[in-house]
Amino acid sequence: MTETFYEVMRRQGITRRSFLKYCSLTAAALGLGPSFAPKIAHAMETKPRIPVLWLHGMECTCCSESFIRSAHPLAKDVILSMVSLDYDDTLMAAAGHQAEAIITETIEKYDGNYILAVEGNPSYNQEGMSCIIAGKPFHEQLTHVAKHCKIIISWGSCASYGCVQAASPNPTGATPVHKVIHDKPIIKVPGCPPIAEVMTAVIAYMVTFERLPELDRQGRPKMFYSQRIHDKCYRRPHFDAGQFVESWDDEAARKGYCLYKVGCKGPTTYNACSTIRWNEGTSFPIQAGHGCIGCSEDGFWDKGSWYARLTDIKQFGIESNADKVGGTAAAVVGAATAAHMAATAINRASKKENSV
Amino acid sequence: MSVTTTPNGYQLDTSGKRVVIDPVTRIEGHMRCEVNIDENNVIRNAVSSGTIWRGLEVILKGRDPRDAWAFVERICGVCTGCHALTSVRAVEDALGIRIPPNAHLIREMMAKTLQVHDHVVHFYHLHALDWVNPVTAIKADPKATSALQQMVSPAHPLSSPGYFRDIQTRIRRFIESGQLGPFKNGYWDNPAYKLSPEADLMAVAHYLEALDMQKEFVKLHAVFGGKNPHPNYLVGGVPCAINMDGDGSAGAPLNMERLQFVKSRIDEMVAFNRNVYVPDVIAIASFYKKQLWGGGFGALNVMDYGAYPKVNYDKSTNQVPGGVILDGNWDEVYPIDPRDPEQVQEFVTHSWYTYPDESKGLHPWDGITDPDYKLGPKAKGTSTNIEELDESAKYSWIKAPRWRGHAVEVGPLSRYTLAYAQGVEYVQEQTNRALAAFNQLAGTELDVKTALNTTIGRTLARALESEYCADMMVDDWNQLMSNIKNGDSTTANMEKWDPETWPKEAKGVGITAAPRGGLGHWIRIKDGRIENYQCVVPSTWNGSPRDPEGNIGAFEASLINTPVERPDEPVEILRSLHSFDPCLACSTHVMSEDGVELANVKVR
Amino acid sequence: MSQSKMHSEPAVYVYEAPVRIWHWINALAITVLCVTGYFIGVPLPTMPGEANDHFLMGYIRFAHFASGYILAVGFLFRLYWVFAGNHHARQLFLPPFFTREFWKGVLHELRWYAFIEKEPHKYVGHNPLAVMAMHIVMVWGLLFMIITGFALYGEGIGMGSWQYEWFSGWVIELFGQSQDVHTWHRLCTWLVICFVIMHVYLAIREDIVSRQSMISTMISGWRMFRDDSKAKDDADHGGSIMTTFVGSLMSSFRSGRSRTKADDIR
Repeated sequence: MTETFYEVMRRQGITRRSFLKYCSLTAAALGLGPSFAPKIAHAMETKPRIPVLWLHGMECTCCSESFIRSAHPLAKDVILSMVSLDYDDTLMAAAGHQAEAIITETIEKYDGNYILAVEGNPSYNQEGMSCIIAGKPFHEQLTHVAKHCKIIISWGSCASYGCVQAASPNPTGATPVHKVIHDKPIIKVPGCPPIAEVMTAVIAYMVTFERLPELDRQGRPKMFYSQRIHDKCYRRPHFDAGQFVESWDDEAARKGYCLYKVGCKGPTTYNACSTIRWNEGTSFPIQAGHGCIGCSEDGFWDKGSWYARLTDIKQFGIESNADKVGGTAAAVVGAATAAHMAATAINRASKKENSV
Repeated sequence: MSVTTTPNGYQLDTSGKRVVIDPVTRIEGHMRCEVNIDENNVIRNAVSSGTIWRGLEVILKGRDPRDAWAFVERICGVCTGCHALTSVRAVEDALGIRIPPNAHLIREMMAKTLQVHDHVVHFYHLHALDWVNPVTAIKADPKATSALQQMVSPAHPLSSPGYFRDIQTRIRRFIESGQLGPFKNGYWDNPAYKLSPEADLMAVAHYLEALDMQKEFVKLHAVFGGKNPHPNYLVGGVPCAINMDGDGSAGAPLNMERLQFVKSRIDEMVAFNRNVYVPDVIAIASFYKKQLWGGGFGALNVMDYGAYPKVNYDKSTNQVPGGVILDGNWDEVYPIDPRDPEQVQEFVTHSWYTYPDESKGLHPWDGITDPDYKLGPKAKGTSTNIEELDESAKYSWIKAPRWRGHAVEVGPLSRYTLAYAQGVEYVQEQTNRALAAFNQLAGTELDVKTALNTTIGRTLARALESEYCADMMVDDWNQLMSNIKNGDSTTANMEKWDPETWPKEAKGVGITAAPRGGLGHWIRIKDGRIENYQCVVPSTWNGSPRDPEGNIGAFEASLINTPVERPDEPVEILRSLHSFDPCLACSTHVMSEDGVELANVKVR
Repeated sequence: MSQSKMHSEPAVYVYEAPVRIWHWINALAITVLCVTGYFIGVPLPTMPGEANDHFLMGYIRFAHFASGYILAVGFLFRLYWVFAGNHHARQLFLPPFFTREFWKGVLHELRWYAFIEKEPHKYVGHNPLAVMAMHIVMVWGLLFMIITGFALYGEGIGMGSWQYEWFSGWVIELFGQSQDVHTWHRLCTWLVICFVIMHVYLAIREDIVSRQSMISTMISGWRMFRDDSKAKDDADHGGSIMTTFVGSLMSSFRSGRSRTKADDIR
């Protein structure tokens, strides 16, 4: 999958002599003695960990927070042994110019061979300046880094779909990654945030098998997003039995009945919450008594209340849903029919009188 | 003229070399900082700018108030849950909903877990690299490290030389790989790093331990809220029903197993704070005894709304009392009322928003926000390629909140200052103990006010607060068990769940002690829908730009007069900024009532 | 009706048996689908006791899915009958939307329902307004319901199933997400319900008021007329290119299977 660092440098016409000099400079820059130079040279001649540039656009950092909660593999093992997390504003030691220099350096050394992980999304209103990195709009950084990457991981619902800042009326013009970058493979790992172990497993899959995981039509890894939460929910038997929580903290809530009637979006949400569960398998929203809010689905913010089964249909007024719209239509049609029936009867009666 | 004096007493000199740091990393969100450094390498002017804005309050307009918590929760995934909690409190306040005691205790435990988690992650994973040099850790002697560990924290079990040798080997291999990952391009040969190699190795070991432990702490959120980040909340109580004995108790959200699981996590938090976090901060701080700057407003101009009532809805039982202290006068604590239109106000003269009359501030219930992105005449670069900001004009996406016109600092240090000044025994005793330990290690004789009013003091107060929160959680858990034992299993009050029961118009305010300081949400509800929603968040207070009077904000104040070792390597600047734990996604989403037009805003 | 005036009632065989069977099976399936569908979205009050003692939602969903299959199979069969059946069987599926005559008929029918016209036209098949309504709801409406229905059903069967591969994948992607498919499926249900209300009412009304039989026709297949004036056979006009094309294709295939009662008697 990747060339060694040394191979890349040789390909770019750098001599072995310059390469070794580079290694001793690296050692010196770290404040280490010259004895470290050969070790660094050796490491660079062997297969490197794949570099990851993790960019942050308009987001809330919940994806990064989720990522560090991973239990298997542990986040520290991913960072220390699986990949080389060279740029991540949330964790990196460097700031300002030194941080931005890493991007330039990585593009030079690993052109076409690094992973771009995107958390959040770019803004296009306010000249793109509602999200500024290094004095410039974030979308410039994103397109620049994307141009030279191998593949893109869209972390979370922000990068995958737009998420909360893209909810109506989307004041900042937040745009998901796949609508900006068209020429690179994109893996969407939606969720607000995605489950920690799902994030690290996607990385582990790519590092171990050196290929992309199989994706569904929307670009999500099938291994985690091919089933609805409802399909594997431990409360599913209560759904089938017709046993529902009707109101919070009622008898049914205490018995762990199905949360469908209080708005659970499990039946329309593709995610692994009910199987892998959250926080090392501790629980997941339904187990803790609150319905799923559908956070790994496109535009879930604009589908009506968390506590209603039926989607809001704004075009018909703020409180509308399919049943209200349809029920009203049916009532109107029914009333019209009744009126017409009456009119027909009167009409016929008068005709009869005339004919007699 | 290049030298000016602000009304709050800071001398600003813009003649020196301008240094720009963008992005400021290891924070939540996006931030830019510019400073002027004089010929003696001392910072004489500081400009902090929030560089992200997401407009969440506009998005909230017209939605169901019962849904708002999830939207505002996504303001920030680091202090995850505190916005949700504040939101449900604001809605309940507006609608007159009183939650059951069990719901209060569960929410309190979630809020305090967040404090512990956030403080630990902040210190070890966002802040530590300002103090700790992982590269020198490979020069340490594991035996000496073990001795150091046993000296600073005898109760911590992971202290053998073998343990430290293993960690060291791993770090060495990592560095030898030449791929430094997050440590790449750090400032590792900068003399600003003062720790001994052994202390560095101990801290690196704890960096990794903390990374493993933090994921355990938040499992408490997973039990009560289903997941973390972004656990679920509910207007009127908590969604996790309690069932101890009845049918279906095994499938209930909370049963004896779940609550014991929670207790184990609380015990872990107590132990980690006591054995690792607090001793680490004291030990590391002792190496920086000569770097006692970065105080700024520190322990002098502080504000908090008060938090952690033992009895819900009774402020007098607050375990962290609120108030305002001005000019370092700990003898006078002003009461604070978030409803008073004269007290909390936001200004936009230096923010990328516009008011009809920008000389006046607006109370959040009447807030207006109209984005107005433009750079000042003295700015360098273009509007989409900023080289230098012009702080005499608008320069940040953060508004400038003021308390009766005063710029104040919020955060753990503010809460500790207020609690100490108001005689909270636990806080006084704990702070004195920590300070004694510091003075002993460092060989100094600092008093409380001097020690706290520093970058170190800010970092120490955060650690102490984390320990306090863990201890308070033990009480909360015991109280919950006692309630259940006495037959009270209620977790939600559904009397006013149905919008039919609501008044036609209502307004409310929700207050929370967020990890970064006092957090307030102001809501107006009309016809069952959100009419206006405003958040004034901690990092807005701390990261605020100048106000119409020219008062600088807390970030900026903390940087003034800080000497730096190397002007082009911002270690000291990062150290002070990070000591606030800036949360930029929080501070810069603030939006207004007429914000619907925002999508079409013309940017000049 | 005036009893004094005697007249012969010519009759035309309009609806062949398969069409009639389809109609009534459809009616039954749609009724079951609407009722069960309603309760899938808004379930009945909670059942007490143990989960394994009940399967209420399961049965409701089973009934919904089973009826859905019947509706879908019926629809496929009906599509076949468009080609195999008489020209009336085609009327619903290939309305002559591009002829002036058709729209004049629609207008006339509207005026008749508005009590402006004294006499309705006489049609062998459906009147133009009915053709239009049925074409929209019974062809496109049902097709939409079948496709979205299978898409939703496929979600439960799971990725890899033919239902998922043929329907769920692309439909969900098209709509954005599963919940939107649910919403549109439910909205369209209400459209079908509105149609059913009008359809039942007008069928009964026309049976009484107009000059041809209605309900009995859908049972026996024979359209009775109450006077001798020539009935319009809209399907014969074949105005649209499509109708002409398919019509000629089919007539060569079927070689005039349309019958009159007189033929039959002979």
